[in-house]
Amino acid sequence: MKPAPFRYHSPGTLDEALALLAEHGAGAKVLAGGQSLGPMMNMRLAQPDALVDINAIAGLDYVREHEKTIEIGALTRHHAIATSPLVRAACPLLAEAARQIGHYAIRQRGTIGGSLAHADPAAQFPLACATLGAEITAAGAGRTRTIAASEFFLSLMSTALEPEEIIVSVTLPKAPTSEGQAYVQFSRRRGDFAIVALAATVRPDAGGHIDQVRLGVGGATDRPMVLAELADCTRGEKADSGWAARLAKAAYDAVAPIDTPRVPAEFRRELVHVLTRRVLVTALERARR
Amino acid sequence: MDTVDFELSVNGERHAVRAEPRKLLTDVLREDCRLTGTHVGCEHGVCGACTVLVDGRPARACLLYAVQMRGHEITTIEAIAKDGVLSPLQQALHEVHGLQCGFCTAGIVMTFEAYLKENPRPTEEEIRDVLSGNLCRCTGYQNIVEAVLKVVHA
Amino acid sequence: MPKTRFTQIGRAIPRREDRRLLTGNGRYVDDIEIPGALHACFVRSPHPHARIVRIDAKAALAMPGVAAVLTGADLAQWTTPLRVAPPIEGLHPVEMTTLPVDKVRFHGDPVACVIARDRYLAEDAAERVEVEYAPLPAVANADQALAEGTALVDESLPSNLVSEQRFSTGDVFARRREAHRVVESAFSQHRQTHLPIETRGCAALWDEGREHLTLHIGSQVPHPLRTQLAARMRLSESQVTISSLDVGGGFGQKIALYREELTVAAASRHLRRPVRWREDRMENLLAASHAREELCRTRAAVTDDGRLLGLELEILEDFGAYCFYPANYLARVVAMILTGPYKVSDYAFVVRVVLTNKCGSGPMRAPMSITSWVMEGTMDAIARELKLDPLEVRRRNMVAAAELPYTMPTGEVIADITPRETLEAAVTRVEYAQFRERQAAARREGRYLGLGLCSVVESTTYGSRFYKAAGIPGSGHEAAWVRIEPSGAVNASLGLGASGQGYETAFSQVVGEGLGVDPASVRIHLGNTDVAPYGMGSRGARGGTAGGATLFLCARDANEKMLAIAAKLLGFDSSEGLRMVEGKVVREVLGERIDTGISFAQLARTAYLDPTALPAGMAPGLDFSRTYDPPPMTYSNAAHVCEVELDVETGAVRILRYVVAEDCGTVLSPVVVEGQQHGAVAMGLSGALLEHMLYDEAAQNITGSLADYLVATATDLPRFEILPMHTPSRGNPVGTKGMAEGGVMGAIGAISNAVNDALAPFGVVAERQPLSPDYLRSLLRGKTP
Ligand SMILES: Cc1cc2nc3c(=O)[nH]c(=O)nc-3n(C[C@H](O)[C@H](O)[C@H](O)COP(=O)(O)OP(=O)(O)OC[C@H]3O[C@@H](n4cnc5c(N)ncnc54)[C@H](O)[C@@H]3O)c2cc1C
Ligand code: FES
Ligand code: FES
Repeated sequence: MKPAPFRYHSPGTLDEALALLAEHGAGAKVLAGGQSLGPMMNMRLAQPDALVDINAIAGLDYVREHEKTIEIGALTRHHAIATSPLVRAACPLLAEAARQIGHYAIRQRGTIGGSLAHADPAAQFPLACATLGAEITAAGAGRTRTIAASEFFLSLMSTALEPEEIIVSVTLPKAPTSEGQAYVQFSRRRGDFAIVALAATVRPDAGGHIDQVRLGVGGATDRPMVLAELADCTRGEKADSGWAARLAKAAYDAVAPIDTPRVPAEFRRELVHVLTRRVLVTALERARR
Repeated sequence: MDTVDFELSVNGERHAVRAEPRKLLTDVLREDCRLTGTHVGCEHGVCGACTVLVDGRPARACLLYAVQMRGHEITTIEAIAKDGVLSPLQQALHEVHGLQCGFCTAGIVMTFEAYLKENPRPTEEEIRDVLSGNLCRCTGYQNIVEAVLKVVHA
Repeated sequence: MPKTRFTQIGRAIPRREDRRLLTGNGRYVDDIEIPGALHACFVRSPHPHARIVRIDAKAALAMPGVAAVLTGADLAQWTTPLRVAPPIEGLHPVEMTTLPVDKVRFHGDPVACVIARDRYLAEDAAERVEVEYAPLPAVANADQALAEGTALVDESLPSNLVSEQRFSTGDVFARRREAHRVVESAFSQHRQTHLPIETRGCAALWDEGREHLTLHIGSQVPHPLRTQLAARMRLSESQVTISSLDVGGGFGQKIALYREELTVAAASRHLRRPVRWREDRMENLLAASHAREELCRTRAAVTDDGRLLGLELEILEDFGAYCFYPANYLARVVAMILTGPYKVSDYAFVVRVVLTNKCGSGPMRAPMSITSWVMEGTMDAIARELKLDPLEVRRRNMVAAAELPYTMPTGEVIADITPRETLEAAVTRVEYAQFRERQAAARREGRYLGLGLCSVVESTTYGSRFYKAAGIPGSGHEAAWVRIEPSGAVNASLGLGASGQGYETAFSQVVGEGLGVDPASVRIHLGNTDVAPYGMGSRGARGGTAGGATLFLCARDANEKMLAIAAKLLGFDSSEGLRMVEGKVVREVLGERIDTGISFAQLARTAYLDPTALPAGMAPGLDFSRTYDPPPMTYSNAAHVCEVELDVETGAVRILRYVVAEDCGTVLSPVVVEGQQHGAVAMGLSGALLEHMLYDEAAQNITGSLADYLVATATDLPRFEILPMHTPSRGNPVGTKGMAEGGVMGAIGAISNAVNDALAPFGVVAERQPLSPDYLRSLLRGKTP
């Protein structure tokens, strides 16, 4: 379990990094926290010709507050996100999800940019970002573009990112005080990738009816799924456990999960059902607080 | 394959290293710096045996290339006991039998040396949560948890 | 057993080995510096079953820094094959070459070995070794193995059924006929692996001038390993040294001489260079050694009040592709001790073992781990069927103190055990009756609690007769030496191989006890075959019992000689009344201790440097060695109680409480024993809930990383409550009984019974492990309480 040979670059600026990527083309890979790329390279499942290490680039590691959004630099570590007072206040779902990624040491190195680029369908950040309607900013040689998270994840470990692009930041909407957010996952052990994960935001109106709901499912299919239409249909319903149960059943009917040797599809579907109900109830409770 | 020359700062000591860029920090520590206290149990980030500190933060040495560590300070298990005196955590592990074969121990000590600085008063649940990133096949974890609690309540 | 109370044995002393391990100064195989060593990397089969058509190593050999690419044909010239052919009825003899020559038999089977400057390069080169395979149909499981017209895993055998034994005593058919009910149950345990956190590995140094091989390796059994290695390399045993310093866990995986290690040793001799190999985790998972894949069925004939009249057992074990051990070795122990603490005289079993295209099996901490689950699960099944309380059914069948020693139907004799006492202690601790009330209340709220009982009778310290009957090259005895040096320093050694059991601590206490000195002055030397006496190593929970007793007896011999010298110096006729206490000779007169002014060190000096002062005819020096053959089997026992909560919506199991009352006799070091209890229970729970070495239907291994092979972490395991009990074994000079495997047995049974108790309202029974959420959901699906 040793990586195949590669050339190593540690550019000091984003421009240099982009130039290196442009020069090497698809043979190069960005190296951020190395917590996904490292294992894959050690197992020789990935054998890039060159690594462009972005850790020495200043100014990619931050959490910033704007009027309606917060912006997180691509190199911000999971641990920083999980413990940032700003993220916990403005985007509690993201912090809650971040706390559950892997283990303490993994969260010290792993980055949000790396997690999004890696696009594991069971990972916390892709699901949280897709559900919250985040926008991902990527820099390429000569241009910077913004991609909606809903359009970013294409399939299993494949994204809308071009090989010579680097994610520089993620922008997420701040939660209004009336909104409750929750993230729940089911995994075999603490720190394992989720078998199924659910993310939800619930905003009841003053009369106790559903005003807005966002609901995302991770782990069930080849990418995070946002059940926007299903959720929208429940607008105006009375916000109670009956509503949560109905929406959960609708999610159960709507999601056709993958079947894998260790986890049969039917079990995943049942988890979608149970966890949807649980995540909605929790989010609703939090909205009421 | 081409090697690169670089300097590595480990436990406050500088090491001149010549290695391929792909050489893992675990292997450079163990072979080039001759610090074999950092163990290798999986080389894919799961077992935690290789955990060292990078600028005071725990990191899997098997998921780092040594060449990345230029300009950073690495701390390994060899630097934890000072002048032959075990750290409070090492001492507690000894007193409550928190290690058996000892292969996982360095990674656990390194993780908690850092964690207890961040959170000096964790609950048992928080300790178990952090410890879940280190596999131990011998102890069933109970006495490791006990040792950390002993330090916390000292 | 000596009547005197021990002063050192049984003391809770923190371990002596800790300091080096805590500070990063341990010496595990891979920590040993060997200048100029080359690194080995194995090319492994991607196919479960295929003929090797051609191996082309040209491209690999052309890489600068690659020293050799060795194949099965090379190794066949330099080494002899392993033949496992003990004279056991129903067991077919088998043979394997060092590396496969004609065909591969499982996914991960080594086909060639690349030797290069470093491991990185060796892996690069291994990728360039071209092996052409002609795939064969694969045998993926035991059913396929037995199917008509199936492929043969080992073509020298008439079928894949490599072993079959039957046994019957009494008349189980008659008992069935007269029974009120015949209760049938099934227990299917899944494939697991030992998973020491330190993988296998070795470093071989061939000294061409002295024609001597040194193999650094982490081994549980240094001497038996040396015997095998020497024989298979056609060397004399005097030409081989095994050195095993610190070992990062073994659990049974570091006993056999594996093909990789033999290859590395042969490569070193062939290349005249040191060669080292450090197994990576993927290799360890795919190809080291697996265990535990077996299906058991029982048929219990019972009376209407739950008394056992007759018992029948069937075992079908999937042994994988290669036999490093006689194939019947593991399953036969299950059948032999199944009935444990229960009284029954009519008993029959059939044990069948088949070969499949999977990694070979070996003993894993508690090779008979399934035993207690099978027996205690059968007890629960009887209780369910007859609507009796499971605790009551156990009480009705369990042997009582007055009935001991009791002869099991297989002839095994249990003595000095306390099944009733441990069971009662454990159920009292968990407040059994109150639990049933809490359980009922919880059920009304839609929460499902379960409580599982599991009594364990653990076979330990397998005696010489067992090894002979099992066809294992080895025996039950152990060897030790104790040497008091002229300065009074004490060195001692025995033939065990430590891998975390704290031998240096516990045995220094034993020697200190025997000699009457401070254990801190005793140094235990382990793991080097040139230093240690030829012993049988660490396996089968024998360290404390066989090893401890041997060392104790040896130290007593030393003590006796030293006191004889003291008597001479004091001008007494005999040493009667003299004792060594804390390094000083005292005289006991009417219960008073009088200091004689003679010290341990003074006696040592005299023995070596002033032989003229010794009693007439006494040889100079203080050099003692001794062997000891323990009884055929030593049993210890325990009762486990596990409480769980089952989330019936997700199938998740949470352990709420875990209590063990264990009686392992005299304890050498309570510190070490408690640690072993925790570790064993943890391994059992981890295996029953999480671990699963999974192959797909085509016999491809799909468990190549620790993200797939799930081991329990600190958040999966409860706090263990241990109730220690100490009924000494009268068959042992120190009174110890073996332990450290029973925890696994008890945990597997207790957790399964607890989960089944939680499932009971739904009318379903889990007959399979792991007790994974998706499996439990599959049982619950469509069921209502
Ligand atoms: C034991 C263990 C457990 C884990 N458990 C979880 C878990 O439960 N949940 C979870 O989500 N993750 C888990 N992870 C993975 C972890 O979260 C990773 O940190 C994350 O997936 C990738 O982030 P990284 O910064 O480490 O990226 P890297 O590993 O450095 O890179 C991953 C991929 O992203 C690309 N990349 C990285 N940064 C950028 C960028 N800025 N722009 C463009 N491309 C980029 C790389 O080229 C590479 O292809 C676990 C990892 C380990 C070792
Ligand atoms: S060796 Fe690095 S985590 Fe296991
Ligand atoms: S002490 Fe052996 S793995 Fe932890």
